[in-house]
Amino acid sequence: MILLIASVTLRQVGRQRRMLLLVLLALVPVLVSLLYRFAATDDAPDGHIQFASGILATFVVNLVLPLSALLIGTSALGQDIDEGTIAYLIAKPLARWKVIVAKILAGWVLTFGVVLISVVGTGAIVLVGEDGFSLVPAFAVAVAAGSLAYVVIFVALSLRFSRSLIIGLAYVFVWEAIISQFITGVRFLSVRAYTVGIADGLTEVSTDILDRSLAATPAVVLLSILVTLGTWYSVRALTRYQIAERV
Amino acid sequence: MTTDNTTNGATSGLGAAAPVIGLTEVSKWYGNVVAVNDVSFEIGPGITGLLGPNGAGKSTLLHMMGGLLRASSGSVSVLGEPAAGNPEVYRKVGIVLEREAVYGSLSGWDFVRMNAKLHGVPDADAATKQAIARVDMEYAQDRLTGGYSKGMKQRIKIAAAIVHDPQVLILDEPFNGADPRQRLHMIDMLRAMAREGRTIVFSSHILEEMERLGDRVLVIVSGRLAASGDFRAIRRLMVDRPHTFRVASSDNRRFAQALVGDAAVTAVELEGDRLLVRTNDYGRFTLEAPRIAQGAGITMRELAPSDESLESVFEYLVAGVRGGAGEGS
Repeated sequence: MILLIASVTLRQVGRQRRMLLLVLLALVPVLVSLLYRFAATDDAPDGHIQFASGILATFVVNLVLPLSALLIGTSALGQDIDEGTIAYLIAKPLARWKVIVAKILAGWVLTFGVVLISVVGTGAIVLVGEDGFSLVPAFAVAVAAGSLAYVVIFVALSLRFSRSLIIGLAYVFVWEAIISQFITGVRFLSVRAYTVGIADGLTEVSTDILDRSLAATPAVVLLSILVTLGTWYSVRALTRYQIAERV
Repeated sequence: MTTDNTTNGATSGLGAAAPVIGLTEVSKWYGNVVAVNDVSFEIGPGITGLLGPNGAGKSTLLHMMGGLLRASSGSVSVLGEPAAGNPEVYRKVGIVLEREAVYGSLSGWDFVRMNAKLHGVPDADAATKQAIARVDMEYAQDRLTGGYSKGMKQRIKIAAAIVHDPQVLILDEPFNGADPRQRLHMIDMLRAMAREGRTIVFSSHILEEMERLGDRVLVIVSGRLAASGDFRAIRRLMVDRPHTFRVASSDNRRFAQALVGDAAVTAVELEGDRLLVRTNDYGRFTLEAPRIAQGAGITMRELAPSDESLESVFEYLVAGVRGGAGEGS
């Protein structure tokens, strides 16, 4: 059942025009990396590592990841709510948690797929054959975890608010992008900080950005708590969900 | 079988056997807006129609019967179980909502099959084939539902709702968007399902649809149960109310004088080249008017009810409900 709902959601969300825009956005860091590769002079010995970690931790984790998760996560279940197809999921002898898990799973796969283009593309261009290549698998795993956390948040938002996209945008650009960067304590409540923290824990490579990050253990624990609570909230909200008769 | 132009909290025993669907003192409100007001009735096997103008609360009632909406007060049961918050009830219940929503990226076949799978139907392919055949949609089953016409979407939605062979089928305005041929086909199909002992509840604001399909009718007006019973009784109730006819004849003034003498006529008014004749006995007047004209040597050119729209019928019933509620308080 979970795989069936997830596969329908993949088709439903995957064929939206916004997916094309997200793929284009994911290609921007890859193009920037190409530019770097052709234009940069090899002065500093670890210049390419600093560049790669910079672009992965800022452009990819700060922009590509949350934006992809926002657009995909809010429509994974939100589209069913907006279009009324949610009735086909609710009016079934089916535990609500299965619907939520399927929606999160589909949103996660799509988001991770998009963000992985950035990570692998950037890594392949800047780090192949270089010392710091372990940054690539580290960031791949980290954005997988970050994608899951963001998608859980945005699925929950789409159940709670009819304008979840706008609320999600405010969260991404005000909380994650600004407040969590400037107020140190807030990084304990930031998916961006968890993501970079996990990447840091998975690689021996030392860069300025990674050194300033949250430690890996609290990052994993906090992210797990967030995913659990967010999923629980969505299951509860869907259990109580009522379909308005408005046409 | 009862027919009652009843008051607040009307109860109607429509099914002789144990009710399949039961509503007891059900109300639903959104903030200060009351959508359904203290409604009680029982529905048994066969076809039952909810008739009422747009915004009367029919959809709200159907959503509550389908467990998609919780009652603010009162209880709604389906097959002896609470309708809301009870996913297991959907093993025996199918629902077709008014919204055109389908998964546009799925073919008709995949859409119906998905519903079969989600219902846990053992042989999903066989059930899908049968359901699609029942709504006569085999010819388009491989096309994406996103490209379907409104009538086709409606039929594939019905196929999806009957794919698990439900005992109870709830349909909100099922004939919207269907052409006359599709409409007749759907009526035949629902009738056949009712003959198999199923319970079918549908809503409509069109009297003719009710006439063709609704053996038993619940008239919903302003969130209340205004009348209930078999269609003929409801029709009679609607007919036995003051009517206004528009009459044209070869000599309107003389005809007016002749009509005033008849007991069924309560008032006659001259309006342009027509007469407006008010009567409190529809049947008698339509029989007597030609005779009166013939007796007076007048040629009657036109005799048409001027207020036959469903809205005027509902207005009359609303007045009845309000009057009844007033008396009761």
